[in-house]
Amino acid sequence: MSSVFSRRQALLGIVGLGGAVTAAPLASVAAEEHPAHPVAPPDAVSMLYDNTICTGCKACVVACSEANGLPPDTSRSGGLWQMPEDLNSKTKNIIKLCEEPNGKDFAFVKRQCMHCLDPACVTGCPFGALKKNEWGAVTWESSLCIGCRYCEVACPFDVPKFQWDKWNPKIVKCEFCFDQRLKENQQPACTGVCPTGAVIFGKRVDLLAKAKARIAASPGKYFENRVYGEHEAGGTQVLYLSKVSFQDIGLPKLGSASLGHYATMVTSVIYKWLSAPILAAGILGSVIKRNWNRHEAERPEREKQSGLPDQL
Amino acid sequence: MSTQDTTVRTRDTSGGTLLNHWQRGVPVYREPVVTPTLLFFLALAAIGFALALARLCSPLGPFGGMNDVYAWGIWKTFNVLTLTALGSGPLAVGMAAWVFNRQKLHVVMRTALVSGFLFYSTGLVALGFDVGRPWNFWNVILPWRWNSGSAMLEVSVCMPLYCCVFLFFENLPLILERFYYTGSDATRKALHRMAPFLRRIYPFMITGAYVLPLMHQSSLGGLMLLGGEKVYPLWQTPLLPFLYLLAAGLCGLGFVTFLLLMSALRYSRPLDLGVLGELGNLLSLMCFVFLAVQFGDLVWRGEIRTAFALDKMSLMFLFETALLLIPAVALRSRTMRETPRSLLNLATLACLGGLLYRFIPTTIAFAPAPNAIYFPNVPELLMTIGYIALGIAAFGLAVKYFAILPGEIQDWHHMFRLVRQRRAAARPEGETSWPASLSTP
Repeated sequence: MSSVFSRRQALLGIVGLGGAVTAAPLASVAAEEHPAHPVAPPDAVSMLYDNTICTGCKACVVACSEANGLPPDTSRSGGLWQMPEDLNSKTKNIIKLCEEPNGKDFAFVKRQCMHCLDPACVTGCPFGALKKNEWGAVTWESSLCIGCRYCEVACPFDVPKFQWDKWNPKIVKCEFCFDQRLKENQQPACTGVCPTGAVIFGKRVDLLAKAKARIAASPGKYFENRVYGEHEAGGTQVLYLSKVSFQDIGLPKLGSASLGHYATMVTSVIYKWLSAPILAAGILGSVIKRNWNRHEAERPEREKQSGLPDQL
Repeated sequence: MSTQDTTVRTRDTSGGTLLNHWQRGVPVYREPVVTPTLLFFLALAAIGFALALARLCSPLGPFGGMNDVYAWGIWKTFNVLTLTALGSGPLAVGMAAWVFNRQKLHVVMRTALVSGFLFYSTGLVALGFDVGRPWNFWNVILPWRWNSGSAMLEVSVCMPLYCCVFLFFENLPLILERFYYTGSDATRKALHRMAPFLRRIYPFMITGAYVLPLMHQSSLGGLMLLGGEKVYPLWQTPLLPFLYLLAAGLCGLGFVTFLLLMSALRYSRPLDLGVLGELGNLLSLMCFVFLAVQFGDLVWRGEIRTAFALDKMSLMFLFETALLLIPAVALRSRTMRETPRSLLNLATLACLGGLLYRFIPTTIAFAPAPNAIYFPNVPELLMTIGYIALGIAAFGLAVKYFAILPGEIQDWHHMFRLVRQRRAAARPEGETSWPASLSTP
């Protein structure tokens, strides 16, 4: 009888304790939050970049810096003009020239945040500084960021950059011009300025259909006759058509399941309603309580033997 | 003279009585407090902290070799992800003692608790100087801002909570004990009143102290899940959290064994091979469980051929496996685990194996971009060394002021070294004079 009571006591104590310390929000994680193949909401915005059209004029790079108030990265041009090497803490958008080793063929690529449907950075961000905002834009909120740089470790496209040279460092990444232009009903600076239509703006459903129509109109023109970003890492809101291999223009080869799904498929179950920790606390607590009672019962004898107070 | 005593006692000439040599925690009296070794470690810690303070007024850039590709340097990957495995002694030994009822191990709990607390607290300090925007960390107290699916959130809530509340509580008795013996009558009376309360909540607190590290030690492994294909397939597995937890368990057991043997050597304490043998036995079992899970997972994922491809990564993996397999097999032998020298060597190997396993997925096997490299720069290394040196110095001081290292009852004299010499320590009732051997504190 008494042992039953102590076990119940232990369980209740632990439930209260575990529950209070880790609180309810951990519990709300559900498998549904990170499906392996997320479906884009109908209002998801998108860009489609086609490197058979791009002339490499870099108007989008300048427009991006201007719209985002970024200083020009002049480190490679001796301080003369904007010439970033890659995405960095001064560059949210870049056009890169990718050449074959023998120099015969080349292709341009535009790199910026892919605005994944289930972004790994958002899944990892501890206090939700990075979040999937309206229309699917992945945005960063300075007051919630602790600067842990987990987003940089998690992003499969190596997009988020950290200001290593600032005392008050920010995470720098393309935010789809969310505050500057999307909210004002304008398209992003880069798509708005593109003179050839190599990068265009629209709803994801429309642009995906448009990309597939381009492939259907000229089969064999595009690499693997497919759209990069339709399925990569669970799907992205930036879509690519390329005449050369996607890996040759620096886009990583990725599986079709979202990383968030892979990373949370176990934890979302065991942390749902904090079930596993509470269960563990209940089981451990009852066993510990029993062993503790036994240990306490033997205490007077131990103290008599040693002539000293018992140590914990 | 004391060394001779040690050998005689350790051999247990009384003909195998069941009496343990280690009966309770006993402070180290005979050694001076300030030694050249202590000053050396304090100097290293001072250099580290001077740099850490400078880091407060400076961007992160000059203080680390980190870059946007390798955004995590050794402060995170070594001081936190790797070294807290060594600091998991309170979890591993505590669960063996209180959950699996290995009564023998209660006497070494304090060694585990103090070392664990030092590993965790120095790791958290390292983390504090590593994050770029620490002033936003206060958000941790607002649960509605928590991103519940993030392993990073779990770690940032759980680790400070465990270290500052549960692990601290577990260390409280040995601190209060010192006050009991050195304090005034009023202090003693207050502590007498407090003791029943502490004992009432103790079983609940230690339950929390085991559940929380089970959560965050596995979440530390869970961090690299989002790394996805950037982590080499030998290490990238859905079982990463579980394997990190098992590695923490074996490192905890291994390090407590290592630390007990090293301190016994350093302070000429007798050894209790019954207790050490038990630790060695559990360590071997943990190594076997770890290897079984790891290889089972490789077979299940079809990556077992990668493990034996004999390229750079496979050799690294096989080296790590060998470091764990040798102690696992050798410690099955009773002779091996009850011979101090072999036990020390094998525990060290197991610790190294576990540490390597915890270190590799975030660094060596983490290859986000083909041409990027990361190597810690000098301030970064000095800060890492500083945090570790601080832990070592603190442990060296703690064993002299608190009853931490296990010893024999006959060495206990109610005698706690005082910070200032002019006040007398509490004198046990009925004892009229100090034993001669202790006249010099």
